[in-house]
Amino acid sequence: MILSKEKLGALVEQVKISGALFAAPAVDGGQVVMKSVNVADEISFDYVITANSAKEYLFPQTETIAVVEIEKNKVKLSAVEPDAPETVLFGVRPCDAAAFASLRSVFTWDFIDESYTKREDKSIVLSVACTKGDEGCFCTSVGLKPDTTDGSDLQLKETTDGGSFVVEALTDKGKEFVKKFSDVFDDGSADTKAIFTPDEIPGGVDIEKIKERLADPAHYADPVWPELARKCFGCGACTFSCPTCHCFDITDEGDVFSTERKKNWDACQIDNFTLHASGHNPRDTQTKRWRNRFMCKFHIYPKKFTTKGCVGCGRCVRVCPVRLDITEVMAEFSK
Amino acid sequence: MEEQLRKEARRLLTEGEVAVVIGYGWNSRKTRVTPVFITNPDDADKLVFNALCVNNLSIYLTRKYKDIKALGKPAIVAKGCDIKNIVICVSEGQVARDNVYIIGMSCTGVVYKQELWQGELTDNIMPTKCHNCEVRNPHVTDIVIGDKVDFTPPEEPTGMVFDKIREFDRKTPKERWDFWIDHFNRCIKCYACRQACSLCYCERCITDKNQPQWIETSAHERGNLAWNLIRAQHLTGRCTECGECERACPANIPLNLVNSKQALIVKESFGYKSGFDMEEHPPMIVYKPEDKDDFIK
Amino acid sequence: MSDLYIPKLVRIEDVVEEAPDVKSFRLVFQDEELRDSFKFETGQFGLYSAFGYGESTFCIASSPTQKGFIQCTFRASGRVTNALSALSIGDTMGFRGPYGNSFPVEEWKGKNMVFIAGGIGLPPVRSVIRYALDRREDFGDITIVYGSKSVADLVYKNELAHWDERADINCIQTVDPGGETEDWKGKVGFVPTVLEEAAPSADNTIAIICGPPIMIKFCLSALDKLGFNDEQVYTTLENKMKCGVGKCGRCNVGDIYVCKEGPVYSAAEVKKMYDDF
Repeated sequence: MILSKEKLGALVEQVKISGALFAAPAVDGGQVVMKSVNVADEISFDYVITANSAKEYLFPQTETIAVVEIEKNKVKLSAVEPDAPETVLFGVRPCDAAAFASLRSVFTWDFIDESYTKREDKSIVLSVACTKGDEGCFCTSVGLKPDTTDGSDLQLKETTDGGSFVVEALTDKGKEFVKKFSDVFDDGSADTKAIFTPDEIPGGVDIEKIKERLADPAHYADPVWPELARKCFGCGACTFSCPTCHCFDITDEGDVFSTERKKNWDACQIDNFTLHASGHNPRDTQTKRWRNRFMCKFHIYPKKFTTKGCVGCGRCVRVCPVRLDITEVMAEFSK
Repeated sequence: MEEQLRKEARRLLTEGEVAVVIGYGWNSRKTRVTPVFITNPDDADKLVFNALCVNNLSIYLTRKYKDIKALGKPAIVAKGCDIKNIVICVSEGQVARDNVYIIGMSCTGVVYKQELWQGELTDNIMPTKCHNCEVRNPHVTDIVIGDKVDFTPPEEPTGMVFDKIREFDRKTPKERWDFWIDHFNRCIKCYACRQACSLCYCERCITDKNQPQWIETSAHERGNLAWNLIRAQHLTGRCTECGECERACPANIPLNLVNSKQALIVKESFGYKSGFDMEEHPPMIVYKPEDKDDFIK
Repeated sequence: MSDLYIPKLVRIEDVVEEAPDVKSFRLVFQDEELRDSFKFETGQFGLYSAFGYGESTFCIASSPTQKGFIQCTFRASGRVTNALSALSIGDTMGFRGPYGNSFPVEEWKGKNMVFIAGGIGLPPVRSVIRYALDRREDFGDITIVYGSKSVADLVYKNELAHWDERADINCIQTVDPGGETEDWKGKVGFVPTVLEEAAPSADNTIAIICGPPIMIKFCLSALDKLGFNDEQVYTTLENKMKCGVGKCGRCNVGDIYVCKEGPVYSAAEVKKMYDDF
């Protein structure tokens, strides 16, 4: 099946008419980001990976979960239904698509966070396999591929002439989508561009070895930790751009008469994240906070949630102002 | 130049004059530089200095970095622009001048972001600060590494930031407001700008103060505006325009624009340029009877 | 469960000033049905809302044997707890819970109990003490060792007096040196020392500890000396939490989520944990 780039305009239009949101890679603030587009002309095709991950469409940076009105001693508390429109996520990279299973595993672990699941259920993922990449990419080191189909409802591969995509419908949702917008999809096949393959990480990475080393609490005392993580600023850019980071804060905003309860992204790299009211902070140095992030990715996620904590998108490598490269830490712990 | 740097670092560590040399080293692929902390004289050869060395390492001298402090007296590899931050930290009582050994690097400019590096330093990949640099020969040092650089900054500041400022000054207040709202809307409240700034050394930032909650933590229009304005205000007259905040920003918000505009206003109003004099305090943190009051109408 | 993070409204029925900055609230659900159907177990915790300020996490200090209300005790130390502290009888606040695991009290039938607490660490232990006292015949000897910085800082003063009077409880109170008053009749000394002097028998006994980390550490070694093994000793961990349901990523100690697998752990389990306290 073929989706020609010329027909993308019609697809966007029809999707919009159906009342759904169409998010795709587009330029904003000088970089290509996943954003809601109104016309196909806004869509960028020239990008390695969007600066933000598609996670914010399923797990927004900020959302109101309840509204409270207080009058004298009468409290009116109303839960706010999550705003979960039908959403088409177009041009998602396969690594980002694979991350949705990870987020889902956290948000459905025993207790179900419906503001996540509702949004995911109402989204359809059209991933585009990578024909280019950069030094930050390392999906192959975490057991994925630049054309991994995990998490994608449809996967698109750019044709050799660059004018179209070869489309593969992977899920029932994907097949439904093709049926619904059948006039933009054409029968046929074509040759596709070569898939990009990330470079090997210097020193080599062995995920099983990393898991094994992290499973032993003794590694906390390993002097390699301060050596590796000392330079971290604690800026949190890695966590905010990460497609699997799920930490959040719940806080009230407003005044004592009218207030909104918010659920906002938060980050384990921020210094007061785990600060107790008593002043005690279990993760009181940046080294401990960074170690926790690495533990989360390569020990907690696989062990506790049985999903991938890291999909190798490389955003944390690209955004880190001090170049604390997670792949170097992975190589160190593969020894 | 690198050899000279390594020799000095080796000497400092061997003679015990310092316990750690904070400098730059290669990543494992040798494609990017990253901060390194050399404590063993045998590791001094890991130090490098080149046009990729954009990071302002002075951040590691601030008191948040307790584990670095614990190593002992540091020497720091610093470009002139980085030294400006050390000067402010000294003048504000954050760093004692005697407690840091400054290895000043003669500098011919660095890249704006390492990702832009194609093997050659060209004007268009240099940050605005390099085009107007007055401290290519570092001004406050314990030793200078490298040959004297012959460079006179232009009288009228040049570069992308100043071009934008001039363009901006012609805009209406409404246009300016829309411009900033549009940019601040992308803010994700990660506070990378704050964390990257060696002058944002407060151990408890105003954003962390919640009794009352001065700044809303949500990444919505109100919260983003409040944070970005307060960040800028707290740096008025102190910011040395090193550009680390903008470089660290994952949302590409043009923070240098607001920083440099403020620096221009401070220079015009108080004749003060931050980062040159360890004895003088930045104008916004002190009161002087002769301070201008012509803004009071 | 679409209202995963939505609290239930509760009315404050009673306020007790326990110690400087420490208050207890007796809370009743606004929803009458919930008043009857609400169930919890000793050791579980909840998230308490001061609307306009946010939520704070602490244990339920009453016992499941007490029906129709829940009690909580907290120290005003942050934004939310200060706001809660400003509330008074008749005011409405929020409660979410119960969350977490609980003390295996059913397994402890027929055993002797030693309760060890320091300062604001008494409330979680108090839930079990109440439970044991309400089912006194199910348990053997009961020893309580409770200490705080000063006499004023002791919480549950009325209850302590009552426990003191009862012949079927060995209640030992202590204050840190310098914290005593002229008419103080209890001991002067740190909890671990007093515990060692009291020397409760380890035979067929369960010990529960809650208090500052340093006190827990020394009490563990005191219990060790008294012949307690790690399976006989329980504690309840407190970590910063925002969700209470294993999502927000704050309370983990290595790979253990205190909000879900805790907060109650045996000393044996604690010793196997990552050093993340």
